[in-house]
Amino acid sequence: MIPANRIVGKQVQFMITCLCDTFYDHVAQASVELLEQVGCLVDVPDGQTCCGQPAFNAGDWESARKVIRHTLRTFTGDQPIIIPSGSCAHMVFHGYQLVFENGTDAEKEAARTLAGRTWEICDFLVNGLGIQTWHGRFDGKISLHRSCHTRGSNTYSAALQLLRSIDGVEILEFDESEQCCGFGGTFSVAYPNTSAAMGTLKIDKLTAVKPDLIGAVDMACMLHLSGLAEKQKRPFRKMHVVEILLQALRNAPTNPPVIHS
Amino acid sequence: MKTSQPIDAFGRDLSQEVKESVYSSSKAKYDKRIGALNAGYIAPDSLRKLAGQIKQHTLENLPSYLESAIGKLEANGAKVHYAKDGEEANATILGIMNAAGATKLIKSKSMVSEEIHLNAFLENNGCESVESDLGEFIVQLDHDMPSHIVTPIVHKNRQQIATTFEKMGLGDYNDDPTTITRRARTYLRKKYLEAEVGLTGANFVSAESGRIVLVTNEGNARFSICANRIHIVLVGIEKLVPRDKDLALFLNLLARSATGQQLTVYTQFINGPKAPDQIDGPGEMHVVFLDNGRSEILAGEFQSILRCIRCGACLNVCPVYRQTSGHAYRAVYPGPVGAVLSPLLAGKRYPEFADLPKASSLCGACNEVCPVDIPLPELLLRHRNKSKLEHIQKASAGTPPLGGWAVLCSTPSMWKSTLTLGKVMDYVPMKLVPVPAVQAWTQTRTLPPFRGGKFRGWYKEHRKHDSGNNQ
Amino acid sequence: MDQQCFLDNIRAAVARNAKPSPTPLPEWDPAMVTSQLAPDTDSDSASLWETFCQRFRAVNGQTIEGIGPLIALLLNADAKHGYLAPELNGPLAGPLQNAGITLESAIDTTRIDDYAFGITRAAGIIAETGSVVINESSTPSRLGALAPWIHVTLIDANTKVFATLVDAIKDLGDEPYVVFATGPSKTADVEGILIEGVHGPGMQICLRL
Ligand code: SF4
Repeated sequence: MIPANRIVGKQVQFMITCLCDTFYDHVAQASVELLEQVGCLVDVPDGQTCCGQPAFNAGDWESARKVIRHTLRTFTGDQPIIIPSGSCAHMVFHGYQLVFENGTDAEKEAARTLAGRTWEICDFLVNGLGIQTWHGRFDGKISLHRSCHTRGSNTYSAALQLLRSIDGVEILEFDESEQCCGFGGTFSVAYPNTSAAMGTLKIDKLTAVKPDLIGAVDMACMLHLSGLAEKQKRPFRKMHVVEILLQALRNAPTNPPVIHS
Repeated sequence: MKTSQPIDAFGRDLSQEVKESVYSSSKAKYDKRIGALNAGYIAPDSLRKLAGQIKQHTLENLPSYLESAIGKLEANGAKVHYAKDGEEANATILGIMNAAGATKLIKSKSMVSEEIHLNAFLENNGCESVESDLGEFIVQLDHDMPSHIVTPIVHKNRQQIATTFEKMGLGDYNDDPTTITRRARTYLRKKYLEAEVGLTGANFVSAESGRIVLVTNEGNARFSICANRIHIVLVGIEKLVPRDKDLALFLNLLARSATGQQLTVYTQFINGPKAPDQIDGPGEMHVVFLDNGRSEILAGEFQSILRCIRCGACLNVCPVYRQTSGHAYRAVYPGPVGAVLSPLLAGKRYPEFADLPKASSLCGACNEVCPVDIPLPELLLRHRNKSKLEHIQKASAGTPPLGGWAVLCSTPSMWKSTLTLGKVMDYVPMKLVPVPAVQAWTQTRTLPPFRGGKFRGWYKEHRKHDSGNNQ
Repeated sequence: MDQQCFLDNIRAAVARNAKPSPTPLPEWDPAMVTSQLAPDTDSDSASLWETFCQRFRAVNGQTIEGIGPLIALLLNADAKHGYLAPELNGPLAGPLQNAGITLESAIDTTRIDDYAFGITRAAGIIAETGSVVINESSTPSRLGALAPWIHVTLIDANTKVFATLVDAIKDLGDEPYVVFATGPSKTADVEGILIEGVHGPGMQICLRL
């Protein structure tokens, strides 16, 4: 599903994602800073909005196409596009191709080209830039939630590889790691009972091993899990993997170096 | 919590007991499956892909493979019948029984026969049709429905079964699983020996040899073609595999995926009626090929669902199935496979089942475990799109409309001003516009503080600072 | 419905969905499908037997060698009357009868529960899976190999030994009916609890002479 030979380079475009644009600005900020730390020049196209996934998943492909066409127009050029979300990256790889299945050749081509430029950020660091280990220090036991839409991509393994290489990080094994957090976009409101039950179970499993924090490669899962946990009066400390990576660099005994691959 | 989706409501109202047994049995089967695959293979995933490709190839060339199988079956002495739908299949089976003056049929577990409601039909026509798989037998006694395609009574506990056995005169109340099994053994033995006809499904049919392959752990499919005169095989047209050798691949995958076994206890290869000097076994063999909507599926965007080998792995891993149970899906095939297949098999009654594909967070776990690599989430999405285009209310109930949101997301000036004005709170996905959705969210979850536009503000400053440095 | 219409429908359906790039039929290598539990390809007959025994025991089958242990096993299970396939009279009838065990050479279905055991010949064994191959030529009565609680299959010089499932399938030939039996009949339908001996044998024994 992920195209072979995706474009690599250090002049990159950053896709904020609608969730970071509205709630999790610190994750977007950390992503940009992190990319700069590894020597990238980051451009954030101003006209961007959302990748279109909510409508796609809800089955409203007409609305999804409208948003996707906008995204295709916004991310012009031939630079890699870096996204701090496995789910939005998956949308580009899969959803973008599907909705134009019966579209014009130009649309198909545009969707294919965009996929060929798209990277989830951990995937980009490891498989794009070839960074195998991470510099610095981070003290903490982490339950890393395997966000579902990283299935069939390199994101989860890349995130694990980087985290494991950091001094002080301990990645915890927990039960049912293959199970979903229960978010699923509009699923969370159309199936409120099932969704909440799934999320509650997920929190049980993630926290049973007593982590210092819960890590994720997708803020959508976090939105759901932390929203539930807070309502259930059992909030937990949460971080996106890029925040952990950035923090590790800052904790390094020497000044954070620019990492060159 | 209030909900407009029937599967969500079913799960909400499900007794804790049933929920617990569905959940723990699913989890156990999932774990056994992984264990068996990893014990067997270094890269089990490559087998799934291979099997998926073989099945996909078979579907794309189904007519010629069917012709080949038919030719072989006939040469092997079987009579082949063709049924467009359930009605025709039922009539064909009754016809075979009538012609042989038979009234008693013993049936080995067969999902297709559930699909066409064969038991009820035969009973209405003065024939006896007895289920021989232990779980199916209990379901039949209870006038219940199977809730799983491999383990039909995961929703029942031993007390319920014992009560049923007592009521049906199979002995005093006794809920010891061994006693339950022995009583069924004794009872069903009589039925096997009385029956003139044994009806089975088929797990695979080899196009190369016409061989019918059947697997069971209990031995019921063996007993169903042992003491009786006639064997009827009822089989969906999608069960073909090209070559005998492919059977090794599929048998290895099926047992591991379904029950975590290396191989199912009894694997039967049936190549025609019994040998002439064999003392027992059916001397007459009929194969009924069933279409029942399959050719329609073959012609469209859901074709790959016909690769399914009915292992049940996608049910076991599905978080929605685990929370709601098989009966929530209101059809013969539950879980992810059912959510794709049931609306299609329903034909004109598609809208009735259009909510099923909504019962998924699209997590993709089902695809990850499927031994024939069916892109189940993609098929669920295609259903959703289809329902939306056909304005089917049952599917859209509870899902907020996204037309306004799409306008917002394709108009950057609007997006940005709503970001800074905070108006986006009324539009962004998680707080989706209409009030019911907001309520559905906030009853069990909080929302984080709104920080629209903060990142863009930071980035602007950051860039200014940067370019200042560069000068 | 007649064959012609039935197939025409399917042909039309497939034609309507013709793919721009059709899926080819993949070739595969037996090594890919064969599990790590299979014996090495160059195994001699002793190690094939060894692997078979291991796998067969792993599925709760029992292996015994020699007539003495068979008699002990039957008497121990209080199985004093059973079915013996007629062509096995030669090696087995005498010793069993001398031990007080009575035999019949056909199954009378009106007395199906009278047979505590059935002894038939195994057409083959599969080392990889721990399966016994039963076919029409080796088993003159399907019931004799299925209905009794104890099923004993005889393994002798004529029994084919397959290293892998792939090999055993390759050898199916024209046999109208073949069963690979991998342990006793079993179910986990009731609360997931494993119970052996549902419709078929509760004990599956391999006797090597
Ligand atoms: S769809 Fe795949 S996983 Fe589900 S039952 Fe069918 S073969 Fe098994």
